Amino acid sequence: MKVDQPLQSIKLLNPAQPNKSTGIINGQSSGILNWNDISHPQMYELYQTLLGNFWKAQEINMQDDVKQWDRLSDTERDIFLRVNTQLASLDSLQTPTMTEVMHYVTDSSFKAILAVISQQEAVHNESYSYILSSLVPLSEQNKRFNEAKEDPIVQKRNQLILDAYQQFIDRPTPQHLFELAVNSINLEGIYFYSGFAFFYHLARQQKMLKTSTMISYIQRDEMQHAYFISQFIRILLSENKELNTEANIEYIYQTIGKAIELEKEWADHILKDIDGIELDEFHNYLEYLANKRFRQLGLDNYYPERDNPMAWIHVFSDEMMNETKSDFFEQKSRTYTKVSSSNGFDEL
Amino acid sequence: MKACIVYTSTTGNTEEVATAIYNQLVSHIDTDLMSIDNFEFSTINMYDYFIIGTYTWGNGQLPTEMKALYQRIETHANKHLRTAVFGTGDRFYPLFCGAVDRFRDMLYEKTDLAVTFKVELSPQQTDYNKVPIFVDRMLAVQVS
Repeated sequence: MKVDQPLQSIKLLNPAQPNKSTGIINGQSSGILNWNDISHPQMYELYQTLLGNFWKAQEINMQDDVKQWDRLSDTERDIFLRVNTQLASLDSLQTPTMTEVMHYVTDSSFKAILAVISQQEAVHNESYSYILSSLVPLSEQNKRFNEAKEDPIVQKRNQLILDAYQQFIDRPTPQHLFELAVNSINLEGIYFYSGFAFFYHLARQQKMLKTSTMISYIQRDEMQHAYFISQFIRILLSENKELNTEANIEYIYQTIGKAIELEKEWADHILKDIDGIELDEFHNYLEYLANKRFRQLGLDNYYPERDNPMAWIHVFSDEMMNETKSDFFEQKSRTYTKVSSSNGFDEL
Repeated sequence: MKACIVYTSTTGNTEEVATAIYNQLVSHIDTDLMSIDNFEFSTINMYDYFIIGTYTWGNGQLPTEMKALYQRIETHANKHLRTAVFGTGDRFYPLFCGAVDRFRDMLYEKTDLAVTFKVELSPQQTDYNKVPIFVDRMLAVQVS
């Protein structure tokens, strides 16, 4: 395989080839998907987890947030709108990009997962619109989206990802697919976190909890997406030795490192006037986050090893999201009393 | 005296921790290390020490392949079986290593639970430093 040779957009149906694909790119694959006969069985579990996360914006009643909106400070309202439109802009890119990748991936199970991811990004995109429509008139929304497009810091950080995505669309080579995937981790696994920090910080103060509930659903989805993409990269590299080079490993370190620097810059910009978020601590948080992404990719930490410095940035519990979904087994296993080290064993 | 480590691993993180524990434990006691796929449930009672390793998916559930082991211990284990449970997960979920907690609560009631151990994604140096402590706690009854 030549890493700089464009991949062929594959035929819908190749009856002579097996259902179980021989590779995620350039594989022999009929195009027919039988989940019971796939090359990477763990993908079925991932697919089910993604579907289990299903939610839609309209299920969340924004009334409480509408009432609170006027009581936020001017700074809070300004940052809220800037973060919202900026996240919406990122998600707008992700839906079509995942569809683009789908055309060149030969494993049908990966195509199906990319379709679900693409759908979820569309839901995220809609949820930002839904939040905006509850809070400000269309003229203000348009003004904010225009500002997001023109903001030099936003442009600079988006450019890193845009370049990688666009070069794959222009010339869909295996190398470009690899670079797209690494930048997809930047988008889904790093660029959202200053925004998440802002919304969860409001939630810590019992402000705009409905918005944060949506953010929490979004984070839950994005965590699975970043996990999927990291698995995708690992499989892509292991199946294609020509891509598994020192230069490409270095590319991962450099590119995620660059995204972290850009995210720090963005965080300094939007969080500097927010009381209760220390910027130095948030920088450490971003490095902790990057280390997690490296380890998910099977690589070593790049930044110093440290504990999560902002443990409050996490997905809400099911109880908090009023979720009632659970299967019989899960209910049954709750019959045991919750125990801890005070009961005479050690927790490390 | 014999120990067994049974684990499940998708990305290899839990397997890394299992291997580290095995390497430490085997210098103290005869130990079997096996993936859940190869484990024969009827052999549980052959062991004096039983260690479970599991990753956690999504909202803190047990992985499907671990449910049968959970139920087997629930119905067949006894209070003399010395147990431990470890696992890998992601702190961004509200229930970090939720599957370890699920096993912990049941093992505490049904067996002699010695120690639990949680690792975020693949083990880092601070986690490797905890492995000898984990093994010491596990063997505490034997040593004293």
